[in-house]
Amino acid sequence: MLHLLGVNLPDQKVVSVALTYFYGIGPLTARKICSRLSFHKECKLSELTEGQLNQLSGVLSEMTIENDLKRQVAANVQHLRQIGTYVGKRHAMGLPVHGQRTRGNSVTAKKLNGKMLRKYSTVADTAFTRQAMGMFQSPLSKHQN
Amino acid sequence: MISATKFTQPASKAARHFAGIRLLSSSPIVAAEKNANSSRPKADRTQSMAFTKKEAGSKRTRSGTSTSVNLSAANPAYYTDPPKPKLDLLSKDTATASRLNTFMQIDDGFLQNTGKGRYPGHLAADFKLFGKPALLYRQVTQTLVDQMAQNAETAPKRATVLDGQNGAGKSAELLKLATVAATSGHIVIYALSTLPWVNSSRPYGPGYKSDLFVQHELVNELLRSVVAVSRDALNKVPLGRSVTLGKKTLESEKTLADLIDLGLQTPSLAHDALDQLLDIARTQTVVPVFIGLDEVNTLWCQTSYRDQEDSILPANRFRLARSFLPFFEGQSLAKGWVVGTTSYAEVRFMPKDLKTKLNPPPAIPIANPDLVRDPGVSELSFDVLKVERLSSAEAWGLMQFYQKANIVTTPVTEGLVAKKWVYANGNPRQMFAGVTTYF
Repeated sequence: MLHLLGVNLPDQKVVSVALTYFYGIGPLTARKICSRLSFHKECKLSELTEGQLNQLSGVLSEMTIENDLKRQVAANVQHLRQIGTYVGKRHAMGLPVHGQRTRGNSVTAKKLNGKMLRKYSTVADTAFTRQAMGMFQSPLSKHQN
Repeated sequence: MISATKFTQPASKAARHFAGIRLLSSSPIVAAEKNANSSRPKADRTQSMAFTKKEAGSKRTRSGTSTSVNLSAANPAYYTDPPKPKLDLLSKDTATASRLNTFMQIDDGFLQNTGKGRYPGHLAADFKLFGKPALLYRQVTQTLVDQMAQNAETAPKRATVLDGQNGAGKSAELLKLATVAATSGHIVIYALSTLPWVNSSRPYGPGYKSDLFVQHELVNELLRSVVAVSRDALNKVPLGRSVTLGKKTLESEKTLADLIDLGLQTPSLAHDALDQLLDIARTQTVVPVFIGLDEVNTLWCQTSYRDQEDSILPANRFRLARSFLPFFEGQSLAKGWVVGTTSYAEVRFMPKDLKTKLNPPPAIPIANPDLVRDPGVSELSFDVLKVERLSSAEAWGLMQFYQKANIVTTPVTEGLVAKKWVYANGNPRQMFAGVTTYF
């Protein structure tokens, strides 16, 4: 296994596939990186020389991936919550953000949305605590009371 | 009265049964068998005697000559050695009209030097079944050999490209031609497949101070094959001028073999060495040159490689393809022949306009003056030779060999040959598939 920028990459994989193991790099970005560094399609990680690995590290260092990207995404979601947008509230409630139905499905949204917000909370993540913390309140009801 | 001392047979069958007498006793037979078997070792039922267990972890089925059968313990009545028909080796001396419609063996050393165990086209399956690399000597082969002998004195002005249907035998013909050329003392530059030049399977990189891309590994392999096959011929050709590769300079007295050896020492000089080799070889008249490229259509295709901006690269952006393109676009040799074959196996590397030019639609009887003036409609810059279907005599020779090689176990009759020939439409690969369907 090759350890590159905090990620263990499998040696025997093709470079363009191995690069997708980074958070923030998909097939298209991986292909663009390989084209930029002139790695052919069937080039495996084990075939790269030290100079090529250094070039690869250099290119990856310029990009926002892994923890930097996670931090950026979390900060974006936090910002949306702080300025009180609809999207922010939906993240906070752990509900779908893009207008999907909640009568059924929405399992993934309930599982994943708001993780970045919940990550910073020390209170148990239950419907009761969310209600207690007033996250279900509508913007108007705050002023009515 | 029954005597107590004398035993007499009871009257009825039931009585005889109760008396303990059996009419037909198997005990002597069983005893005899036991005596016979006592000499044989006891069967070990915990281990298979004929079949070996497949290796754990590998789910790929093993191919090639090795099988999962333990041949040392196999029944010799069923597992026999494959027949090895004796064949003449194809060479300059044996490539004559008297060998028409017979199979001839290709020099394995030539194949190892040029292919490193790989074979052109779909011939690998054929050679595996034959037990050795062998090909049918056809009429078209004789035509090509005669043409090559003629071109060894005076080269034609244009290159020749062999075209035909899939499985017609284009790659096989080029291989035979290259083999004969090697034994004739030609300088042979033979690439059994140009697909690796364009399918992004081999390393590449931007050239130094150039917009062309280089493929040092491929060129290195090509130079190795050239020097392995034609060292004697290369040693006969002096450079004629001093040649500088990198920091080293070769005097004019040195030969082409020294030039290639220098290029092989430093991979980054491989391209320069190839360019110098082609430049000197095409103008010299000491030794004829044979350049054979299989799947030559790749020289005009869009490759699978990409540049730094992630745009697809055409083949003419590669220095290796650029080195050979001029030979198919009008540049000629002083002595020798340039031959290429097309391949429709990988459709993405067959340019559409080239395909249309090679297989033009039926001609419209009324001449269209606008079309004649259209600059987009241009003629091909090389000669095209169509490899047609097998003749009946060639089909007969093919089936005869298949019977000798135990591929066809039924007697080869005219009816059988005609049936296979017609069903395959004279296509050699389809004929081979027709007789090996149940393998």
